[in-house]
Amino acid sequence: MAVRNLASGELESVKDPGERLSVVDFSADWCGPCKMLHPVLEKVSEEMADRVDFYTVDVDQAQAEASRLGIRGVPTMIVFHGGSEVDRMVGFRDASSLTGRLRELADQHVDGE
Amino acid sequence: MPEFKMGLVDGPSTDEPGRVWDLVVAGGGPAGMSAAIYAARYSLETLVLEGMEPGGQLSLTARIENYPGVPETSGADLASAMRKQVLDSGSTLRSEVVRSVEDKGGKGLVVYTDSAEYAARCLMIATGAAPRRLGVPGEERLHGRGVSYCATCDAPFFRDAHVMVVGGGDSAVKEAMHLADFADRVTLIHRRDELRAEPILARRIQSREGVEILWSTTLEEILGDDSVEGVILSRDGDRQRMDLDGVFLYVGRSPATAPFRGLVELADDGTVLTRGNVLTSHPGVVAAGDVTDNPLRQIVTAVGDGARAATAVYEKLKG
Repeated sequence: MAVRNLASGELESVKDPGERLSVVDFSADWCGPCKMLHPVLEKVSEEMADRVDFYTVDVDQAQAEASRLGIRGVPTMIVFHGGSEVDRMVGFRDASSLTGRLRELADQHVDGE
Repeated sequence: MPEFKMGLVDGPSTDEPGRVWDLVVAGGGPAGMSAAIYAARYSLETLVLEGMEPGGQLSLTARIENYPGVPETSGADLASAMRKQVLDSGSTLRSEVVRSVEDKGGKGLVVYTDSAEYAARCLMIATGAAPRRLGVPGEERLHGRGVSYCATCDAPFFRDAHVMVVGGGDSAVKEAMHLADFADRVTLIHRRDELRAEPILARRIQSREGVEILWSTTLEEILGDDSVEGVILSRDGDRQRMDLDGVFLYVGRSPATAPFRGLVELADDGTVLTRGNVLTSHPGVVAAGDVTDNPLRQIVTAVGDGARAATAVYEKLKG
C-alpha cells in the first residue's frame, strides 16, 4: 500500500473508507517538514496497510478544500472515519509516534484487524 | 508522491550485534552533520541518529544570508546539501531518535533509540533545541489553526491576512520579514522596548512597509473557536483585544537534553555545560550547537563546534 496523490475534488470520496481509516496529508512543495514527512508516510502506509489508507494533497492545488477544513499550517494530517474527522495532527511526526497514534485510532474506530 | 530531497536512509534499524561505533552523533542539524563530515575524514566509524527533524532547525529557516560563501539560500537547501555531504563522506545516517544513554564505565556507552541500541566509544550531543511554547490560553488548541512556530512552513496560508509575530530576537525578526512577503499586515510585539536581533535585521524590520512594532507588549491569550480570530494583549497592565488571523511565536527555544540527564552536567536552563566549547563533564561525551550553553547560536558556530567536537573525539580515541 502506497501513499496516493489526491487531486482537488477527490477528497470527499476518501472520507468514508468503510471499515478502515483514511489519513490525508496536506502538504506543499515549499515546506521542509512536509518533504521529511513523505518517506515516513510511505513507511507507515506499508506497516498499516491492513487498516489504513493514505493520501497526500498538495494544498496549492486544493486551496478551497484546505481553507474549508481550516488548515493554516503544513504538514497537517487529518484522519477520517465514516465520513468524519476523528483526529488532526499538525507538524512532522516520526514513524513510531505516527504508527502509535494510528493504532490507537484504529483500535477505537475499526473493528478487529 | 512528489520528489523529496531528504529521505530516510535504507538500512537495518537494529544494529549489527557486536558492532562498536567510534562516534554516535545524536542529532542531524548543522552541528551533527559537520561533526560527521570531519569524523569520517578522521576515519572514525560514525553513526548519526538524526532524529525527527533531519537538518534540525536549519530546515525550518526561510532565508540564510550570514553563512560565508553562500550569499543567500534557504535553510532546506543548505540542510539538504550538508546531508548529501554527510552521506558522501561515508558516515551513516539513520532517522532514529535517541531516547536514553547508558554509561558502561570504561567500556564506552550504549545509545538507545525506539528500535535499536548502539554501542559507542564516544557520544556527541547535538540534539539542538525546539521552539518554546508561550503557555497562553488558546495556544495549544489553535496550533495549526492559525498558531504557528514556523513561518517558513505556514506563511503562504496568510496571504493578505493580518498576522502577529511574538518575540524580539533574530528568529522573530527574520520570520516577520518573511511573513511580510505574504501577509497584508504584520504586527510584531515584544515585551521590551528594543529588539534583541542583530542591528542589521532590527533596522530592516523597523523600516519595512506593512510591519508595525508594539513595544513593551505581551500576549495574554489567543482567541478563536476553529481558527485564530484575535488576541488579548497587555501593555502597562492594560488589556486590549486585537482582531487578526494568525500568531507566530518566537519566544526562545528549549534545549533537547532530556535523554542525557544524569549523563552530563546541565546548566539551570537545561543546556549542556561545556568547556572549550565542546567538552562536557563526561570524558566520552562531547556536545555542540544549540543544545550547549554557548551563547551564540548560529549555523556557523554550530558547524564550527561540530568540527571541534569531532576533532576532540579523534584526539581522545587516538590516545
